Amino acid sequence: MSELTISRRGLLAGSALLLASTALPTIGFAQTPKKGGRLIVAADSEPRNLNPAIVASNGVFFISSKIVETLAEASSDGKDGLEPRLALSWEGAADGLSVTFKLREGVKWHDGKPFTSADVAFSALQIWKPLQNLGRTVFKDLAAVDTPDELTAIFKFAKPTPFQLIRNALPALSSVVPKHVYAVGKIEDNPANNAPVGTGPFKFAEYKAGQYYRLTKNDAYWGKDEPYLDEIVYQVLPDRTSAAAALEAEEIQLAAFSAVPLADLDRISKVPGLKVITKGYEGLTYQLVVEINHRRKELADLKVRQAIAHAIDKDFVVKTVFLGYAATATGPVPKNDPQFYTADVPTYAFDVAKANALLDEAGYKRADDGKRFALKLLPAPYFNETKQFGDYLRQALAAIGIDAEIVNNDSAAHIKAVYTDHAFDLAVGPPVFRGDPAISTTILVQSGIPDGVPFSNQGGYKNAELDALIAKASETLDTSARTELYKEFQKKVAADLPLINVAEWSFISVARDTVGNIANNPRWAVSNWADTYLES
Amino acid sequence: MSRLHRFFRTPEAIAGALILALLVAMALAAPLLFPGDPQAIAGPALLPPFQDWSLPLGTDRLGRDVLAELFHGARTSLAVGLAAAAAALLIGAAVGTLAGFASGLLDEVLMRVTDAFQTVPSFLLALAFVSIVGPSLGVVVAAIALSAWTGPARVARAEVLSIRERDYVAGARIIGMHPLEIAFREVLPNALPPVLALSSVIVAAAILTEAALSFLGLGDPNRVTWGGMIAEGRTVLRTAPFLSIVPGVALVLTVLGVYLAGEGVVESTAVRRSLS
Repeated sequence: MSELTISRRGLLAGSALLLASTALPTIGFAQTPKKGGRLIVAADSEPRNLNPAIVASNGVFFISSKIVETLAEASSDGKDGLEPRLALSWEGAADGLSVTFKLREGVKWHDGKPFTSADVAFSALQIWKPLQNLGRTVFKDLAAVDTPDELTAIFKFAKPTPFQLIRNALPALSSVVPKHVYAVGKIEDNPANNAPVGTGPFKFAEYKAGQYYRLTKNDAYWGKDEPYLDEIVYQVLPDRTSAAAALEAEEIQLAAFSAVPLADLDRISKVPGLKVITKGYEGLTYQLVVEINHRRKELADLKVRQAIAHAIDKDFVVKTVFLGYAATATGPVPKNDPQFYTADVPTYAFDVAKANALLDEAGYKRADDGKRFALKLLPAPYFNETKQFGDYLRQALAAIGIDAEIVNNDSAAHIKAVYTDHAFDLAVGPPVFRGDPAISTTILVQSGIPDGVPFSNQGGYKNAELDALIAKASETLDTSARTELYKEFQKKVAADLPLINVAEWSFISVARDTVGNIANNPRWAVSNWADTYLES
Repeated sequence: MSRLHRFFRTPEAIAGALILALLVAMALAAPLLFPGDPQAIAGPALLPPFQDWSLPLGTDRLGRDVLAELFHGARTSLAVGLAAAAAALLIGAAVGTLAGFASGLLDEVLMRVTDAFQTVPSFLLALAFVSIVGPSLGVVVAAIALSAWTGPARVARAEVLSIRERDYVAGARIIGMHPLEIAFREVLPNALPPVLALSSVIVAAAILTEAALSFLGLGDPNRVTWGGMIAEGRTVLRTAPFLSIVPGVALVLTVLGVYLAGEGVVESTAVRRSLS
């Protein structure tokens, strides 16, 4: 721990420099990245399994995307929104039965062995398809990976699989791990899951439970002159309020994933030396959704669902719960998605009188105490915002005569109550949109999903027409036809309201001014940080 | 000198009684002064106190009236505190009397059970209970009572042990009263005063435990509680400190009031004892 504490002299020197920098205001903006330095970052959770090929989630990527690389990364200006990482090019066959990847030459694993197409084949067939939370769906028809030479991997599918889907899945689902490390023994129990070996710009150095993760520079990285940083340290700060204080005290230089509470941003943006950055999360959109249990006879009635949609003041939610750091939602695809979003869907303006009229029409008249019926409302506990929206929704429902009783659970109990036991009437959930509706969005409304699958349709909703549309889209190869089908999907969901999309939000980073090249791609916080640098 | 007079002799007791009276008045007046749901959205979010006189203490992150929440929170705090203390005293006195009066095996069993409860930190016990059964007002009361009954049980047993040797107890035995009747009709009433003296401590602890449970998100989410208000305010501590300070001060004053009044009661009975 001693090497992480800040010496008094260092602090004095730092503040002297800060004073000097304010005295000389025009240092200029176009700075060339400096080499060296240790970046200290706040981490609010401590994932035990750090293998992104198995656990494709943002909490794991935040740390391990610097160590283990994917075939391609999201990019704001690259073709199809991608830029090459381990793969240099990708080509889908016209029949949808194969995708050919040309791999980067001269890449070495952290243990010195060369990276080859065999590693890609192993990762895809042995990990992404059978073990990965998201890969199970996307790669379900992957039958084989041919490796004609060391730098070519050809994915063969048993059924036509849209190339657009594979492309959109690359940034999050294609982490490549070394075959020679995982070949022996059970993959789930491999020690490299806790101390990952990859090809990325940083190597895993150590983890002290409850204290920090430390990554060191990979001198043999394939990127020219990269990485710039010598070390990245993830300081574990589980308490959200402490991240802001640690930034102000210069104990950390970066707090990503909204580690600083939204309510503090206004104040912190005025602190000299700190900047608030809203970019760098465009590819990680969370959706605030009201999940509905269609087994309740009241909620199975479309008029009641419409009434609830009309009772929610989305602008109020964005303004008050998210303090403006969000957007109102119209349907199951977020507005910031460049490929699929359509605004041409039925919308539900905030209108309490109309909501009341709809409920009267549906036959649920107010009783003498002004109440129509009672509901159980389970707000997901993962975010402050989901809990606060739960409080708001209870009030919004009270205004239309629905008496909602809030039931609070911890994360594990919430997942069990909603996705396994179905012991809810309404739930507030934060599903993630991952660049393609087929990855994690259609399962929110599709029927026939077994009990216990988290973040899927567990509300008993069944719509044959919608199921058919989803099935058709999953085997449509033509990109524009597929996109059209998903536009139709958005219209149908917005019209029939299997769930109610309220808002879309992403995260905020707060960093010291000295950290350069922040937020330069749509998944920056979970990208490899090879070009991130420190000025002082 | 009447008991009331003796009670009001010390300034601490007067202060305690005044605070308690204020609290009770707040709790009783809450539905009259602030009818309807105190959690209803009443104005713009995060309005600071003393800006708008219709919302004198400002609003929280969703725009709920802090003053209304404070008044309704007093109801919850007081109800939980009193109910939990009453339950704890009831269980404690019953267990203590049975153990003390029966002696032998039953005494051993009951006192070892009491020991077992005492070795687990009481807050941990309440926490575990609520997180398993699920948070609601009744469960919270039960959880606090469960962690607080051991003190009264021990005191009651000690009292009963000395009382049961008295002549009138022997007399009751001779006239053929049922042992349980003797225990609960003859012995218990005389063993009660020192047990009741514990009540102020228990009420104060119960109010604090309830606040702590709510603070950790284990209170009844459908009711306003001061602990829940502090927890809500904590996320915006730097920008809107009043959201935590207002209920925090109310909590401190309440516990102080209960404690001072309790001290006053103990003192007045102590004076009576030394006089007699």
